[in-house]
Amino acid sequence: MKNVVKQLRGARGLSQADLGSELGVSRQTINSIETGKYLPSLPLAIALARFFGETVEEVFDVEA
Amino acid sequence: MSKPETDTSTTSNRAPVTTRWAIPGVAVLAGLAYLVVGLVGDNYPLAFGGLGLMLSIAVGFVVLARYSETFAGLRDRRDERINALDAGATLFAGMVLLVAVLVMFLVEIAQGRDGMPYSALGALSGVSYVVALVWLRFRR
Repeated sequence: MKNVVKQLRGARGLSQADLGSELGVSRQTINSIETGKYLPSLPLAIALARFFGETVEEVFDVEA
Repeated sequence: MSKPETDTSTTSNRAPVTTRWAIPGVAVLAGLAYLVVGLVGDNYPLAFGGLGLMLSIAVGFVVLARYSETFAGLRDRRDERINALDAGATLFAGMVLLVAVLVMFLVEIAQGRDGMPYSALGALSGVSYVVALVWLRFRR
């Protein structure tokens, strides 16, 4: 499943560590989500979407 | 883009003290258990070697958690991905142990013995699996 976390994070000038700290997860977890190696749980996906002011569907592409 | 919301953290900023010290604490307790049973059984290498080993593991774990995100995650238990990695690794270790028990059971039987204690350990793991399955069935 593709996502736009990297683009949203980059647009805000945040590092992976910054975003991980905001969401209570590690930098490695943010990296794994961005590269598609790890599919986050529903609570974390919602937290990510809320952080960026987007919906989950806008952050994660269920068709890809 | 809209303004980011303020409370998006999935967890609190710091894990409870009991969580952070659970693994080192278990290691220390295991070391103390080695010490006691070693002294009771007059096995001093096990008593002091085991205590030293487990204390080293406890200290090493705490130190590594300061430098490694993975160890920090194992200590804090706040990162869902690292928790999933831990669960997967535990499952793998359990499967390896189960296969070893089954192989040793077969070896014991082939050598004309009764298969103990491997038969009991295999039975215990089977019963544990069923109990866990039923328990989880009603919880999830």
